[in-house]
Amino acid sequence: MSAKKILVIDDDPDFVAAVTPILKSALYEVATASNPTEAKEKIFSEKPDLILLDIMMDSLFDGFSLCHAIKTSREFREFKDIPIIFVSAVKEVAGTRFQFKGEEQGMVGPDDYIDKPIDPADLLARIEKLLKK
Amino acid sequence: MNDKPLILVIDDEEAMRDSCTQILVKHGFRVETAPDGQSGLEKAASLKPDLALIDLKMPGISGLDVLNKIKEIDSEIISIVITGYATVESAVEAMKRGAYDFLPKPFTPEELRIIIRRALERRELAREAEKLKREKKLLEENFITLVSHQLRSPLIAIQQYFETILGGYAGEMSPQIKDMMLRAKERIKDLLQLINDWLDLARINRQELVTRFKPVGLQALLQKQIETFMPLAKESSITINLEREASSDTVMADEQSLEQALANIIHNAIKYNRPGGKVIIRLWEKNSSLAIDIEDTGIGIPPEHLPHIFDQFYRVPLTGRGMTKGTGLGLSIAKKIIEAHDGRIEVKSVPNKGSTFTVILPLARTP
Repeated sequence: MSAKKILVIDDDPDFVAAVTPILKSALYEVATASNPTEAKEKIFSEKPDLILLDIMMDSLFDGFSLCHAIKTSREFREFKDIPIIFVSAVKEVAGTRFQFKGEEQGMVGPDDYIDKPIDPADLLARIEKLLKK
Repeated sequence: MNDKPLILVIDDEEAMRDSCTQILVKHGFRVETAPDGQSGLEKAASLKPDLALIDLKMPGISGLDVLNKIKEIDSEIISIVITGYATVESAVEAMKRGAYDFLPKPFTPEELRIIIRRALERRELAREAEKLKREKKLLEENFITLVSHQLRSPLIAIQQYFETILGGYAGEMSPQIKDMMLRAKERIKDLLQLINDWLDLARINRQELVTRFKPVGLQALLQKQIETFMPLAKESSITINLEREASSDTVMADEQSLEQALANIIHNAIKYNRPGGKVIIRLWEKNSSLAIDIEDTGIGIPPEHLPHIFDQFYRVPLTGRGMTKGTGLGLSIAKKIIEAHDGRIEVKSVPNKGSTFTVILPLARTP
């Protein structure tokens, strides 16, 4: 079986640089995109097996709308089953405005969530679990 | 300016309308005219001019009434009145009703041009100021969110590098490098904690919290806290016990914030305890309030420091080699949250014996 490919979508190049070796250590192929437009292109050209998606790209909603589009729109219908893991530095605290609950707004959510900074072992375990499904 | 300003001239004298039109068109304005108040108001409503030049003395609707009604149509339209009978009274009256300025007849083309220019510039400035005010308000409202993102993002990227490097995903390290990396990682973690605490403090806002109030059972909430802190307590062989003496345990609260306030106090009770010590959490009723004691058997707080422990960044200087970490904001946050719940927090302490923090919250009314 050939290596599985993971698309990392994040606007912070340092985060991408730090996460890539973790994924490569588990013999995944890594593709990257730094904004929603590039992300769409890469989904079509790279056909990833799993997507790591940062919630806060340019705006709070980019990650959510991209996820929703992949899971539901015709444009992405051949990719609708790709597992998506949301990655976020969004901290749940008292009075925060960050708690955008995409699902409550009728958006289709991701398959899993993981907080930044990512614990490498935890990330690899979650990916493996989703890819086995 | 992107468009030529539109001037509406409302005057019953045809000669006046014509000469105004001539002058203004020559100076680069667009001009519309109306021979009486009624048609003037109709044009004002449909064309939304930038400025209206209104003759005060007209048959039908008077100039002063036109002035009033134009304000109602669009408060942004500037009105300048033309006064044939150049009395101070009529001019003052027009100004009182919101005219920007008045122009006594007869006037020269130059006078007309200057007064209109000045009025339009003035409006432009007012619009700019309004826009800036709106932007500032928006910025203020989202300031915490923006700052939070800007401050946290770089630190989180750094933390991610540490995770990757220390996880061994970027190659082997000498023990010395690894040790330094671990220390650096801890410092970054502390800094992030400080930012988070500070942002929490800035964010706690009674009006916002109240919108999330719902009945919260304190026993369950405290039980959950104890479970969370058990691993930390076990590190120093500290026991945590919950005693309930109150019949009701329901308060109106924003659960997440209240949880955070109590967690900060319980955390301190563990952190400043002695190895093998105890933390007793007691839930009891006091008049129509619920009180939560959080009692520890720790180092205590010297009386001279007690009045300051809720101040931001205040740290009780510790004697001995007890190096404790923290941002000095935990109790400030707790106090602010509890006060936002119409509650209060009290403290009693005996050095070397322990401290008791008491949180008092209004009991939720039972239906």
